[in-house]
Amino acid sequence: MSANETANTTATVSATARRGAAAAARMLGLPALLIALWWWAAVSSGSFFLTDPGTIAATFTEVWVSERFLTDVLPSVGLLLTGYALAAVLGIGVGVPLGMSTRLRAAAEPVLEFLRAVPPPVLVPLLMLLVGLDASMRTAVIVSGCVWPVLLNTVEGVRAVDPVLADTCRVYGIRGRRRLGVLVLRSASPQIMAGLRQALSIAIILMVISEMFASSSGLGYAVVQFQRSFAIPEMWSGIVLLGLLGVVLSAVFARAERHALAWHRGLRAASRGD
Amino acid sequence: MLDVDGLRKTYSGRGREVEAVRDLTFRLGEGELACLVGPSGCGKTTLLKCVSGLMRPTAGSVALDGRPVTGPPPDMAVVFQEYGRSLFPWLTVRGNVELPLKEKRLPKPRRRELVDGALEAVGLGHAGSQHPWELSGGMQQRVAIARAIAYEPRVLLMDEPFAAVDAQTRADLEDLIRGLWQRFSMTVLFVTHDIDEAVYLGQRVIVLSASPTVVQDDVSVDLPDERDQLTTRSAPRFAELRAHVYREIQNAKNGGGGPSGTGATGTGGAEGSGADGGGGAGDAEGADGEGGADGPDRAPTATGGRR
Repeated sequence: MSANETANTTATVSATARRGAAAAARMLGLPALLIALWWWAAVSSGSFFLTDPGTIAATFTEVWVSERFLTDVLPSVGLLLTGYALAAVLGIGVGVPLGMSTRLRAAAEPVLEFLRAVPPPVLVPLLMLLVGLDASMRTAVIVSGCVWPVLLNTVEGVRAVDPVLADTCRVYGIRGRRRLGVLVLRSASPQIMAGLRQALSIAIILMVISEMFASSSGLGYAVVQFQRSFAIPEMWSGIVLLGLLGVVLSAVFARAERHALAWHRGLRAASRGD
Repeated sequence: MLDVDGLRKTYSGRGREVEAVRDLTFRLGEGELACLVGPSGCGKTTLLKCVSGLMRPTAGSVALDGRPVTGPPPDMAVVFQEYGRSLFPWLTVRGNVELPLKEKRLPKPRRRELVDGALEAVGLGHAGSQHPWELSGGMQQRVAIARAIAYEPRVLLMDEPFAAVDAQTRADLEDLIRGLWQRFSMTVLFVTHDIDEAVYLGQRVIVLSASPTVVQDDVSVDLPDERDQLTTRSAPRFAELRAHVYREIQNAKNGGGGPSGTGATGTGGAEGSGADGGGGAGDAEGADGEGGADGPDRAPTATGGRR
């Protein structure tokens, strides 16, 4: 009997392990294939500009695990996060009153639509003149691009506050800051998170662009410098690093979102009848 | 203690005026449990919104203890029909019940005591840490009731609170309300479209006419205070009262009669419990004049269709 049970347990464990291995294979299979293809293409073409993955990997550690990490990577990430955070605060801060007041919205909507339609990179030359070449200009570029998805999604989310829930707050005398925190922002949080997610990828793009145009340090600047000095493997490694940065940031974001919107997932699952 | 005097509400929209409530006057005494019942679309929800101070009446007044109601009064709680939308899905059951008490600035031990007591009273002592969407519909409505009770209101308004739960749960919840009313000695105004429910629950049934709404009849329910789903509902007196209210509502819908006077409750014995045959008949939604600001009353059950 007990031998049987042990055998069963062993079988379960090995089945779990097999499933885990299969999942890992599925997840890593395509990247492995693509890297192999790239390698083959790089070697067979013999092009100077197409570096094989092995060389890039070797260069990667050589270039980035050095003082460059302090002079280029950290300032870039700092710039990115500062701009992103400012855009989030500004977008939510302006979006909430706009969402709550029909009159404000009517007055502001055409202007917002226009400003949103202006592509943020085009502001770089202007801001170079207005703000100068320093980090605050690059922060301004990131904010000017990231603020729109946050702002517009916040407005939509705040507008859509459930009237029954709003009545409930009135009946129980819930107003002011508690109403804002417990009703308005929480109701709008799924939309706000959607806006923040869009803003995150915009922030990375604008960080790179602003550094390419107008900087003497940072990731974007480094990639352009490598390209100009024909340091091709180094240039490639910069691109890979930017990709990895994007992946890490989006994973961190997904984690935060999962935590903040647990109720939303549960509610949706419940109303689907799962 | 709760005075509704000459209440009138008209909605104006798209160039025409819709009169939802014409002229309503009634009075609830301290500690009374009254049910408001009326045909579908007669403006029950509008009335309740005006009484709770969520909506300004076009004319007339609502007063609580002589003080005019211009916004939701601090000692009044409301249980809405849409339980799923009146609970905060991002708060736990406990958080939902506790929230109004935080706004009242009660100290933490007192809050804990009230929340525990209220959850216990509705039979949800074990569910405090769950989220509303993890519970069934009936349990969610219990949470909303617990929140109302923990608030320690003097007046509890209920807007068709059981219209969206199944029949068995509904019977349980009806008994729960009777029990809580006796235990916490609140004044309760219970709005429903269900005649059986109104007669079973109330000490008094106020029958509303079709829109534009006036009070069609005011029936005092002389059933014993201890009520029971089986014996009370099968009592001859229950059937008489039920038939009487049913006839008044039919009159109201046909626009006939007008108020047939207070206390005319001894009639209708012949119709008795046989009146079931007419259940749900002729409940036209056409009389729905409530306008866009206040959705039509749902669930077209004119009479006890849940036997």
